[in-house]
Amino acid sequence: MRLTKLIVCILFVMNGLVSKAQDKFTISGTVTSQKTGETLIGASIRIVNTSFGTVSNEYGFFSITLIPGTYTIEVTSVGLAPSVEVVTLDKNTKLKIQLGDVSAQMSEVVVQSTPKSSRSISSPQMGVEKLTMNEIKAIPALFGERDILKAIQLLPGIQSAGDGNSGFYVRGGAADQNLILLDEAPVYNASHLLGFFSTFNPNAVKDITVYKAGMPAQYGGRLSSVVDVTMNNGNNQDYIVSGGVGLISANLNVEGPIQKSKSSFLVSGRRTYADVFLKLSNDSSIKDDKLYFYDLNAKMNYELGKNDKLYLSGYFGRDDLGFGSEFGLNWGNTTATLRWNHIFNDKLFSNTSLIYSDYDDKISINSGGVNARIFSSIQDWNLKEELQLFLNNKNNIRFGFNTIYHTMVPGNVSSPAGSSINNSSLQDRYSWENAIYASDTWKASEKINVTYGARLTAFSIVGPGDFYNLDSAGNVTDTMHYRAGQFVKTYLNLEPRLAISYVLNPTTSIKASYVRNVQNLHLISNSTAALPTDKWVASTNIIKPEICDQVSLGYYKNLDSDKYELTLETYYKSLQNQIDYRDGANVYNNNAIESQLLFGIGRAYGLEMLFKKQAGKVTGWVSYTLSKTELKIDGINNNQWYNATQDHTHNFAIAISYQRNKKWSFSANFVYYTGGAVTYPSGKYIVGGQPVFYYTGRNQYRFPDYNRLDLGATLQLKQHKKYSSELNFSLYNAYGRANAYSIDFQQSTSNPEQTEAVQTSLFKIIPSISYNFKF
Amino acid sequence: MKYSIKICSLFFLACMLNACTKVIVLKLNNASPLYVIEGTITDSLGTAQVLISQTKDFYASNTFVGVPGAVVTITNDSGVVTNLTATDSGVYTAPLLIGQQNHSYTLNVAIGTQTFKAISTMPVKVPFDSLFITSTPGFGSAVKVANVQYNDPPGKGNSYFFVEYINGRHQQALFEENDDYTDGNKVISQLTVFGGNDSISTQKIKTGDIVKVDMQCIDKNVYEYWFSLDQSSTGSSQSAAPANPVTNMQGGALGYFSANTLQSRSIVSP
Repeated sequence: MRLTKLIVCILFVMNGLVSKAQDKFTISGTVTSQKTGETLIGASIRIVNTSFGTVSNEYGFFSITLIPGTYTIEVTSVGLAPSVEVVTLDKNTKLKIQLGDVSAQMSEVVVQSTPKSSRSISSPQMGVEKLTMNEIKAIPALFGERDILKAIQLLPGIQSAGDGNSGFYVRGGAADQNLILLDEAPVYNASHLLGFFSTFNPNAVKDITVYKAGMPAQYGGRLSSVVDVTMNNGNNQDYIVSGGVGLISANLNVEGPIQKSKSSFLVSGRRTYADVFLKLSNDSSIKDDKLYFYDLNAKMNYELGKNDKLYLSGYFGRDDLGFGSEFGLNWGNTTATLRWNHIFNDKLFSNTSLIYSDYDDKISINSGGVNARIFSSIQDWNLKEELQLFLNNKNNIRFGFNTIYHTMVPGNVSSPAGSSINNSSLQDRYSWENAIYASDTWKASEKINVTYGARLTAFSIVGPGDFYNLDSAGNVTDTMHYRAGQFVKTYLNLEPRLAISYVLNPTTSIKASYVRNVQNLHLISNSTAALPTDKWVASTNIIKPEICDQVSLGYYKNLDSDKYELTLETYYKSLQNQIDYRDGANVYNNNAIESQLLFGIGRAYGLEMLFKKQAGKVTGWVSYTLSKTELKIDGINNNQWYNATQDHTHNFAIAISYQRNKKWSFSANFVYYTGGAVTYPSGKYIVGGQPVFYYTGRNQYRFPDYNRLDLGATLQLKQHKKYSSELNFSLYNAYGRANAYSIDFQQSTSNPEQTEAVQTSLFKIIPSISYNFKF
Repeated sequence: MKYSIKICSLFFLACMLNACTKVIVLKLNNASPLYVIEGTITDSLGTAQVLISQTKDFYASNTFVGVPGAVVTITNDSGVVTNLTATDSGVYTAPLLIGQQNHSYTLNVAIGTQTFKAISTMPVKVPFDSLFITSTPGFGSAVKVANVQYNDPPGKGNSYFFVEYINGRHQQALFEENDDYTDGNKVISQLTVFGGNDSISTQKIKTGDIVKVDMQCIDKNVYEYWFSLDQSSTGSSQSAAPANPVTNMQGGALGYFSANTLQSRSIVSP
């Protein structure tokens, strides 16, 4: 609890500073979009002709303290027209800054002609990627389904886990090492249709930020990245209905004010209808098949008073797949977030969040003598409190706590009487995760900015339950019983966070960071595909918290008055307590899941480059990543280093969009990456009357390289006073490259004397068209 | 729970998306050969047999090439040693050797300077009650599938292995199951074959076909062998960690040694 004391001390010191700073005044306020009333996250507030500035927080709030005087304040945000205001500061001042649409101001076609860098030269935050919804909407997508998780995979250091898999690898981290948050609620399975689409309906999303390094202290719980997705608040000026009809899905959004200019609501829904086509089939067995997903996002905010605002947001999504009545797979996420913003004074901003998150999947089997349902889930209750203290023009402090109670149901099997299956269940697991943190972003000098902080986490495994001791072969030697509420084990970890930037000149900087992350929830999957049956398990007495230490160094340069930006970053990561499977592991039906696992260490390093063009008719970026990721696990490959599955040496992406005129815009993206490490047989033999395969090591081979080109076009249809609409065309995998989805080894169908390798590819050229409207 | 959820759902998706497949040629390393020993002793006369071969390169022929000149013995738990004699290259038999339930057997194999050893215990026989054919709706058309029925005795730990023959031809699929989920119940299992193509490896059952199924009651280690072989050595891309199976064979050979009961049933498919 030394950190608590430290925080108390810091608070005292800060109080002192506040009282000493009486001769200064504070400008605070919110930044919103003029057209929709949406609060703007990360808008830059710059005091012209000084080196001072700040950015708006997650709720559009900002605060900056200066000596009395007359200041010109310039506020900018990507894609919006800047606002310039002159303020004579002789008392604490509140501002409500509204940014207008670029297109409204510029009558010409030249949209996005005002360059605005999406990343800050001076901020110590590095390893951060942001895409605006406009950028995401321009990217051509599979079946025309715009997908924010697919879009971020075009950025350096974020690698796709392959076709038909919404999983992604950040800087060599595994797919389960990404903390995916939707309005602060963790989303445990961010995929629909077994990974073809992500759970985020782009129409409901306001902002996406990915942290690959130097994660701010308020985030914790996963090793590799934080993907922070914020939902739209809803338009507080006008009622807007918008929607779209595509090849496989339709969506509808309704938003509008509750109190004009003050509060609003948003409801956004999406459903696929591929199953409607199944119904048209003459075949009765196909008619009864199910194949769809839907999701619903809802959010409302309510202004309680000048200094208080409530936000309630929720997500509900489900997938339903089924072969008639024989086999069904149904899964989904539910999240709910209740937040209360309170402005204590013009320097102290508070947010309290109560978050519920649930992920569950149900499998039903009714075939032959087997009639059973398998249910598993993970459920979180989560309370967060964060205070932001805009202490003075040099220090911006955040501190808070987070407490989460996890309930995991790894697998309950139920079956009606008379079935050959018994009711059974794996033990439910309970854990309690607590964290306190504090960080300060400090303007140390004109050129140096520092963010320093720490997060202290305590992860407690709570009874009831049986826990095990194992011998080296993984056999249970001892079983320990714990009562309800009894603490089995608490893992205490201190996670330091440090980031420094050094501004070489107004358009150039270098940055360095060190971050430690700790992960106590681990995804156990015994398949290569992202299936809903993959299982989350918490740390136990044997499964230790995964730990990652990352150092990162970067160079940032804006060119041609911010029209172009160049980012170079390198990183080195050292990982502890990494998990892999024993040969022949059975992870489904085992209370002592530890007996199926092996543990070791990992390392990852790489170089990332991003060159981005921000302005003009042609915008877009080129990204390249060179990287290496290895594991060393006791019991695999003779305890030698080997390539991790997510080790893709080269990763190259281009995304371009071209605004030809008011009516037409075009886009294209191209990706190339080295195939990941994979296990292939090095021989074969006959056993049980059939050829089976002989393996000499794990991940000793490489998957074929991947490449793909997608094309897109948008036609803006005639605009009426209130009604506007557009047609989107896309061509996924335009040159029909047969990329490997999987490679199977089998007896040759044409010559039973031989064995052969068979590659399966999912998508040839997939054209699609969708219609979007708004009124 | 033999039902393979993942294969099922992926097959489903593959159908929906018209996935395409092609044979590719990969550059695979040539590993130095390893001995493969497949030993069985059952409660039926004339079935004690040990097959010895070696691993081959992936692109070599599938033909079984036996290893001659091995010294093969099976020792029962009272210390009685039986020599198995070579009847064919790599095939070693002891026609009169019969195993008994609840007894352990030790296989010893010596090839040149290398020796291998494995122990297996023959479990108590669980009667093979019934074999019948049902039609299940598949994707597109109904598929005939063999069903086996038995009463699992109370108490966990029973394991089974089924071998299917269609018109005398061995169905190339592994049907191992245990009573983790079915302890003490009447169990009906479908011997479902995924892949579906009427190829050499997986055959479809047609009306008039003679379907024969062998039921083996196996020990836990042999179950783990078949389970891990099925999970990780059959070349399926869905396996997270393809690997050699967990074996009861000591000394660095692949394969297994199983002391199991043996019962057979046959039926003409309706």
